[in-house]
Amino acid sequence: MKNDGFKSPLRSRRGAVGGRPLRVRENMGYQVFLVVNTIIMILISAATLYPFLYLVSQSLSSEKAIVSGHVGLIPKGFNFDTYKFVLSKGDFLGYYKNTLIYTFVGTVLSLIFSSMLAYPLSKTELKVVKFLTPFIIFTMYFGGGLIPNYVLVVRLGLKNTMAAFILPMMISTYYVLLMKSFFAGTPKDLEEAGELDGLNKFGVFVRIVLPLSKPIIATMTLFYACMYWNNWYQAFLYLRKEKWPVAYYLQTIIRGQGANDPDAQQVATNIKSCSMVLTVLPIICVYPFIQKYYVQGMMLGGVKE
Amino acid sequence: MKKKSIVSLSLAASMMLGMTACSGSETTAGSTTTIPDQIETTAPDASQEDQKSLGYEYGLGKTFHADEKVTYTIFFSDASWYPMVDTWKTEGIFKKIEDLTNVHLDIISYDSNDYMNNVTLDINAGEAAYIIPKIYDDSAFVDGGAIVPASDYVQYMPYFVDFYNTYNMSPDIKTITRSNGKYYKFPGMLEAQALNYTFVIRQDIFEAAGVDVASMEADWTWEDLLEALKTVKAYMVSQGMCKETDYIWSDLWCGNESGQGNGGNLLKVMGITYDVNAGWAIADGMRYDQDKDEWYFSPTTDEYKAFLEMAAKFVNEGILDPETFIQDDTEATNKFYNGQTVIMSMNQSQFAPCKQNCEEMLGAGNYELYLTIPPRSTLYNYSTAGNVRLENGVMVSQKALDELGEDGFIEMIRFVDWLFYSPEAYTLCKWGVEGETFEYTADGGKKLLDGMYCGGLGYGMPEGADGIDIRLQWGYAGGNYFYGHTIAEMSDNYIPEIKHMVESNTANREIPPLAPGIAPTEDQNEEITLIATPLIDEVNTWTLWFVTGQKDVSKDWDAFVAACEGKNCQGLVDLYNKIYKG
Repeated sequence: MKNDGFKSPLRSRRGAVGGRPLRVRENMGYQVFLVVNTIIMILISAATLYPFLYLVSQSLSSEKAIVSGHVGLIPKGFNFDTYKFVLSKGDFLGYYKNTLIYTFVGTVLSLIFSSMLAYPLSKTELKVVKFLTPFIIFTMYFGGGLIPNYVLVVRLGLKNTMAAFILPMMISTYYVLLMKSFFAGTPKDLEEAGELDGLNKFGVFVRIVLPLSKPIIATMTLFYACMYWNNWYQAFLYLRKEKWPVAYYLQTIIRGQGANDPDAQQVATNIKSCSMVLTVLPIICVYPFIQKYYVQGMMLGGVKE
Repeated sequence: MKKKSIVSLSLAASMMLGMTACSGSETTAGSTTTIPDQIETTAPDASQEDQKSLGYEYGLGKTFHADEKVTYTIFFSDASWYPMVDTWKTEGIFKKIEDLTNVHLDIISYDSNDYMNNVTLDINAGEAAYIIPKIYDDSAFVDGGAIVPASDYVQYMPYFVDFYNTYNMSPDIKTITRSNGKYYKFPGMLEAQALNYTFVIRQDIFEAAGVDVASMEADWTWEDLLEALKTVKAYMVSQGMCKETDYIWSDLWCGNESGQGNGGNLLKVMGITYDVNAGWAIADGMRYDQDKDEWYFSPTTDEYKAFLEMAAKFVNEGILDPETFIQDDTEATNKFYNGQTVIMSMNQSQFAPCKQNCEEMLGAGNYELYLTIPPRSTLYNYSTAGNVRLENGVMVSQKALDELGEDGFIEMIRFVDWLFYSPEAYTLCKWGVEGETFEYTADGGKKLLDGMYCGGLGYGMPEGADGIDIRLQWGYAGGNYFYGHTIAEMSDNYIPEIKHMVESNTANREIPPLAPGIAPTEDQNEEITLIATPLIDEVNTWTLWFVTGQKDVSKDWDAFVAACEGKNCQGLVDLYNKIYKG
């Protein structure tokens, strides 16, 4: 961004002239704004954090303390028994393993096929692109519908296989369009230079374009991985119990009692909380390091130079 | 421009064709058959000679057995709180069924929360299993052609016919009969309704406050219950057990999760005692007047007004927590288990877990529970168990008929008959195998063998005990394969508290008269839904306003009635009576 000469009050406060801090007298209104703003931000942060911290607290508390309503942000009857129980119980780890496999395999396949679709689409000189792009965009808004998709997967013999979980969402049109926009920005001269040096189109894509596209690859990795990690719908449609991902298992234990069957019995609250914490933990751990890519990802392709 | 006209014409033509196709559905309702008072068995003679040529044995008092092993696909609703494990197939219920009948069940299992969604999807996609158990509402499948009308095949089912004829099920079956005179599921049939949903109270606190529910319940009204709870609360306040501002009733199955925005179980139970539709039983609000032989909209009646006034009193008097109608079920149970509240909705299957939770939370000897029967209203003395003697049932798919052929299909139907209607299969599915899991007592009752437990039958394993839960281990006493049957069969596992509650209800309450069924066509069904959906939303909203004190029944009743009229409740009444009177 070019410097347009505008100096925000913050920059004035921290800016320096001749090596000395520049002290601009801040007016009262701005100080009030800062205080109010900070308070609002703290409140929003607290409101966002509270449910998660409460969940962690519940997962570390005894069931008796939870039922008594004594558990707040500080665990009561502190113990790791619930974690030991959940992690030693075959079910949870099995579903967790499934999720890891689906996420890894799904993300790799999605990246390969999405990028291989996006690259040719970025070449406007190809005649087929004119026809293909609207055709692909059309699928963003119109689908076959639930029953035809279900019949397709079942008749292909994919029901209750990993493919049923991954294939139907392997290529996201929106992500393909983001990648297409990014690839379109690759300097043509570099590609032509590669071709002059003897590379074919695929070689140009693999050896020149992809190495230059690390930001979009990183962003898409994140997007696809999150999509597979959180997805439960394909499991609901196509997978039997032993192949469920952990997200669907979570759903079933959280909904264990109530809405559909009053005869249902409740899964203990601390077990639910513990399962939820363990499920979101990887995302929570990784997110601070990669969250900038989320923002960048949304901007990619949206801004033209 | 010309191009546009052609496109428009084509579109219009295709729409006309579509509409013609749609309107055809009403005429395909088919010839109307009547539901007989008694069913004649038209099956071939079940003599040994005939059965040899059939390739399987069947008949009343006999175990179905196929000479050659057959495999039938069957859906299974898998509950997360007692999930199916391999031992069910290798040594438990499915193995025993196979040993007895030579029928291998190929189980297609879905989580119980999503069971109906998955089953609906499979049926609509033409991927249905042959046998489809645990169906409460079959209306979504009637017109699709994927389900075989059950009524076309009942004559081949000796156990079904025997129960139907013995207990005069004809009036009940008529309530599920469609406009073409057929019914599409083999329903669970009960000899009589046993009270299931009621209230559990903290007997120790009631007694300490000087309230003896056991002696009152035979004839107590909702007013009596309110007075009793006020006395109990006064006692609790005086003992420092709660504050004057606290509520001592925060009910279960009425809020976010189970209440479905209509007040759930509490308003249903209370509504039945006033002869109105409310809570879980609101449906489309329509009720049948036996004297006038016509249908009416119950939420605008004086009985409904009286019901609302009574329900609102519990909140106004500081007894019933208005959060009852918005809280999660867990919040309600937690308040009861830790002693904050003294009364809560309860059903037969949840009573054992409730006792176990109280034991853990309050400690043995620190509490006493009593299952009371619901109070009556000042207008009627109706049993809240209701009067329809049917429950969820089994459908069979057209796919089975197509793939097995008529003879193979009838063979399967006879297996279904044995599995769902024979006393032998009922006992197997509920109690397991005699000598392995249970034994008969001297008085002809049943009891689990030493070391065997079953939370599903009310005999949960105590903490630290060394034993086997026959439901968790082998799949007996699950919810898929036993429902209905005789009072003796239904009550053979009752623990004393439940037995007392059911008997007290039977002795002290009257069975409400059975309303006749109506058989709307597909179009009429749609019309009913179109009127009833917004209308009932309105009724539920107003009902909860009245009950929680946001509106005053005495002041706002007319506005409520006007709102219902504005949503065309009279149109619904007219439509119902038109269908009923043909």
